[in-house]
Amino acid sequence: KIKFFFPFSLDALPRVTCPNHPDAILVEDYRAGDMICPECGLVVGDRVIDVGSEWRTFSNDKATKDPSRVGDSQNPLLSDGDLSTMIGKGTGAASFDEFGNSKYQNRRTMSSSDRAMMNAFKEITTMADRINLPRNIVDRTNNLFKQVYEQKSLKGRANDAIASACLYIACRQEGVPRTFKEICAVSRISKKEIGRCFKLILKALETSVDLITTGDFMSRFCSNLCLPKQVQMAATHIARKAVELDLVPGRSPISVAAAAIYMASQASAEKRTQKEIGDIAGVADVTIRQSYRLIYPRAPDLFPTDFKFDTPVDKLPQL
Amino acid sequence: MDQNNSLPPYAQGLASPQGAMTPGIPIFSPMMPYGTGLTPQPIQNTNSLSLLEEQQRQQQQQAQQQAQQQQQQQQQQQAVAAVQQSTSQQAAPGASGQTPQLFHSQTLTTAPLPGTTPLYPSPVTPMTPITPATPASESSGIVPQLQNIVSTVNLGCKLDLKTIALRARNAEYNPKRFAAVIMRIREPRTTALIFSSGKMVCTGAKSEEQSRLAARKYARVVQKLGFPAKFLDFKIQNMVGSCDVKFPIRLEGLVLTHQQFSSYEPELFPGLIYRMIKPRIVLLIFVSGKVVLTGAKVRAEIYEAFENIYPILKGFRKTT
Repeated sequence: KIKFFFPFSLDALPRVTCPNHPDAILVEDYRAGDMICPECGLVVGDRVIDVGSEWRTFSNDKATKDPSRVGDSQNPLLSDGDLSTMIGKGTGAASFDEFGNSKYQNRRTMSSSDRAMMNAFKEITTMADRINLPRNIVDRTNNLFKQVYEQKSLKGRANDAIASACLYIACRQEGVPRTFKEICAVSRISKKEIGRCFKLILKALETSVDLITTGDFMSRFCSNLCLPKQVQMAATHIARKAVELDLVPGRSPISVAAAAIYMASQASAEKRTQKEIGDIAGVADVTIRQSYRLIYPRAPDLFPTDFKFDTPVDKLPQL
Repeated sequence: MDQNNSLPPYAQGLASPQGAMTPGIPIFSPMMPYGTGLTPQPIQNTNSLSLLEEQQRQQQQQAQQQAQQQQQQQQQQQAVAAVQQSTSQQAAPGASGQTPQLFHSQTLTTAPLPGTTPLYPSPVTPMTPITPATPASESSGIVPQLQNIVSTVNLGCKLDLKTIALRARNAEYNPKRFAAVIMRIREPRTTALIFSSGKMVCTGAKSEEQSRLAARKYARVVQKLGFPAKFLDFKIQNMVGSCDVKFPIRLEGLVLTHQQFSSYEPELFPGLIYRMIKPRIVLLIFVSGKVVLTGAKVRAEIYEAFENIYPILKGFRKTT
């Protein structure tokens, strides 16, 4: 196995030490492939594979590809130590035969063992890209998928469904949950199937996730509606108070959040219709109406004390 | 009180307790009589220091074991009596007669399998702050009503679905959609799926007897149409019951404490799905206090599951 040594890193391997100075931290000289004791200069290990550049490039123009990079920068952690390469398409005229077909056609895959996993990673990256998820969520999703894939307990399910469910779980675990409908919007899998896979994965990995709260979605929904910070804070306060006072028992937190945003926006200068909020939140406008009716009677208590009303509380629309 | 006169064999070799007890940390507590710290005590699950939870757990365990373990309780009483004093102090059985339930509930919190009930109970004095979970206070007084019974029966002969569909009343048959005849009768109001192999599924009855009666009626219909129908292997496959605990429930609290059994996703389903291990029943618990129990093969499982869940739900009652 080839180990990657980075120069000046701490040598944590207990087995290789200088015989005279066992406490000394060995310095790796990767150019010559040695591990040298700094105290006495003894070369302790040798034949370490040099991973530095094969040759040095001096050209200033960046147009040509850097020939010192061999192989893709794949992370070995996820793809079983991927060292395979593929022969690329020909660039010159000599690579095409008389009919115009490329001479070397063999693009057969080399990493057949984890083809499906690499495909799923690509799919996850695509999905995450659509909703602008940061790299840490994507990494977490990849890890979850790898764990589920290796366990093989959900082998019969479509990989895309497992990937979508892993993405949902990763968002939840990072503390920024996305609704199922948001994940559906970037995936070809139905909400029902994602929900099923979600439950199966939680059981397979023996983990659990925190319950969603109304505050988790406020910033996203309000930004998508271009509402000012005051309205967002008011809506957060309204939703939290509504749940605390148990005005909306049994309602999904998304519906309560949507109704709170509606109430806050209607009381401010930036009014939004139920339909607009429903489109952003993925909630039907009748659902917003139902939840709004439940919180409307206590509206004066729900607003934060320092809120500036553009429309006074008693003039709020009553549906 | 019936007492077994002969001590069971396990009670005699009490120096070495059964394998259900781990020879773990001896618990030396001022509450316990001298010398008990030397006997291996079951390792208590001290993850949660909440007394309420402990009570709930004990009550749950108590209620679980209660119906079956009456006899074993008697045997335990004798075991306790035999252990607590070697020769004298026959007054102890009088006192221990009060406490076997305590011992029972305490030891059972750590014995996961009902079959391996540890028979050497920890001799905890009655001073320890554990609520004696007497059965009378725990019975909820609410009986779940059965809503649906699904049963199967084998008529024992191949059937021609087309003739059945054409000649029988209230039968529909759409082979492109589903490969069975769907027949309905009004009394008891049930629906049956009749397959060409001769097997039949009967759904919709409200009691076991009604399900059997309805299946017989369907078999009679098939017989009258000219097929040599028999009534083989009638088996109830699933029973669904529902009831109302009459108070609102804090589902968020329940899912926090019973994470390994519960699944509560408001986006997917408004109720909490509680998968009880013993008996193997799935309960749908709603905020309003309504509970649906399903997955039972016999009526007693529904009742037992509800008796198990009721004290837990009481602990999560909404106070406002």
